[in-house]
Amino acid sequence: MTDPQPLLRIDSVTRTFGDVYAVDDVSLDIRQGELFCLLGGSGSGKSTLLRMLSGFDAPSRGRIVIDGQDMAGVPPHRRDTNMMFQSYALFPHMTVERNIAYGLRRAGIGRAETVVRVREMLELVQLDKLAGRKPDQLSGGQRQRVALARALARRPKLLLLDEPLGALDKKLREETQLELKKIQETLGITFIVVTHDQEEAMTLADRMGVMQEGRIVQVGTPREIYEFPRSRFVAGFIGTVNLFDGTITQDRDTDAVIDSPQAGGPIRIPHAITGTVGQSVTVALRPEKLVIGRAPSEAHDNHLSGQIRDIVYQGGLSVFHVTLDTGMTVRVTRTNRVRDEGAAIAAGDRVALGFSGQSVVVLPS
Amino acid sequence: MRRLVAALPLMWLGLFFLVPFLVLLRISVSEPAIAQPPYLPLFEWADGLLTMTLNLGNYIFLAEDPLYLFSYLSSLKIAAVSTLIALLLGYPMAYAIARAPTGRRNLLLMLVILPFWTSFLLRVYAWIGLLKANGLVNNVLLWLGVIDQPLVILQTDFAVYLGIVYTYLPFMILPLYATLSKMDGDLLEAAADLGARPAVTFLTVTLPLSMPGVLAGSMLVFIPAVGEYVIPALLGGPGTLMIGSVLWNEFFLNRDWPVAAAVAIVMVLVLALPITLLRRIQAQEES
Repeated sequence: MTDPQPLLRIDSVTRTFGDVYAVDDVSLDIRQGELFCLLGGSGSGKSTLLRMLSGFDAPSRGRIVIDGQDMAGVPPHRRDTNMMFQSYALFPHMTVERNIAYGLRRAGIGRAETVVRVREMLELVQLDKLAGRKPDQLSGGQRQRVALARALARRPKLLLLDEPLGALDKKLREETQLELKKIQETLGITFIVVTHDQEEAMTLADRMGVMQEGRIVQVGTPREIYEFPRSRFVAGFIGTVNLFDGTITQDRDTDAVIDSPQAGGPIRIPHAITGTVGQSVTVALRPEKLVIGRAPSEAHDNHLSGQIRDIVYQGGLSVFHVTLDTGMTVRVTRTNRVRDEGAAIAAGDRVALGFSGQSVVVLPS
Repeated sequence: MRRLVAALPLMWLGLFFLVPFLVLLRISVSEPAIAQPPYLPLFEWADGLLTMTLNLGNYIFLAEDPLYLFSYLSSLKIAAVSTLIALLLGYPMAYAIARAPTGRRNLLLMLVILPFWTSFLLRVYAWIGLLKANGLVNNVLLWLGVIDQPLVILQTDFAVYLGIVYTYLPFMILPLYATLSKMDGDLLEAAADLGARPAVTFLTVTLPLSMPGVLAGSMLVFIPAVGEYVIPALLGGPGTLMIGSVLWNEFFLNRDWPVAAAVAIVMVLVLALPITLLRRIQAQEES
């Protein structure tokens, strides 16, 4: 954020449709070479923001500056951005080769050079053998790669990707995520990826921004967002989380205590927190940070007790739903490191849950 | 049951196209006669001898008299020019309807179809009222002072073009609308995103993708226009040469059914050849 001239500066951009604020006072700087993910649910404004960057929509207020140039009034065909559409939008009457060449021809690049660059792109996305095919003769994954190659062919300053992997099945999506990241690193082109899939954002992004109701509620690395969410919304949107309501009863330089009736007692945190004694807060705790056992273990400074309601076996992971003595149900995950480990604890068993006060995040209620 | 349903259109075509066509073909190779019907039978049984008389003279006659050739060429020209004008007028209209908001789109489509609620003949007669020397068009132009003498519009080729384009324009607009309204808006945005100006987007994406509609609309205008009889008869002048009028004259004035039938057969062939050719090209492009 201290970059004197970021590649993209979104400056207090608002887009209203009638009374609705689709994008509400968003400011964001994106650096050259970054892979930035805009994450949000449907209607969060992420697609509207992307359309304003590509020029298909214009801000009601605010400025968009790309590489020092104010984009106000610049139509899509004069922008140095390219977009990969969610529907891919491949031209059905053109071959793969001509689809990729389309943008190059429009940029006034000569025939010979176009051929060379189309070849490069085909190799990059490993489609050299399919150059002569029409889009309807390709599989979903191949179409996705043609769309990527076509968008990259002009070597835009900024590549905008709208749910680029949304139409692929899970296995292909995971492979393609890594491939996409590798291509981005190789070319050094700045990518902005819009997605509703938090796993995809976590995998791809150098930095990500979480959007809610037209606003960017938090920007950070995937790790920062996951480990230190700043609101209940972000904590709940990225991964799953157990939330305990409570009141700060002690806040010192070295430690703090939050009394939570839902947790069945005080939650001890071994560092200072922001807040004042008596303030209502929410304590967020990720399911994998809870350790399940028959009896409380010495290794943890916080303990909860309850009864197993059910166990969901997911192969690599097991998810335990535990009903605490206070009546609240929490989620606990455990990797199945040993094959018969899951058999030791069964539904209906009484268990002790331990966690470290270091692992919790204290959020304003 | 399914076969029966599939056979229905074939039966329909057989009954109402193939059988009349064969009857026509049979008449076209017989000798004319002053009789009822006005042609001689194909087979004759006399003295234990069955004779079949195939008279190809009607076709030779068509080839020898340049009137027929000129009529065919003139019909094709009038139909082709009308089709082109209808395409140039109909494309922007279909495009505008396809781009209109949903509510207004249905209203506009309604307006395109509305003329069909009145008889075709009445509408052509209405044009006579508009175009004649003391008709509405001339009166308005005179009143505005654009002209000081009434223009001769009626009974010219211009009036024929006007009539054909007016009558068949909906047949051009509807198939064009059908393809244009199905066009994926993302494709147009993709073209713009890749640096194409609106005009370039139109030429490289919209137009090629709407070709099925262009072809369908052109066929629907061109084919009936070639054989058009009413419009040239009512709006055209003595110089307007169209095969439909020639056909009518042969049947009803000359009562030469064999030659008239030959004229009709040749017209079907003239139209069928380019259509089959076109369909073959389309089929090739698809595969």
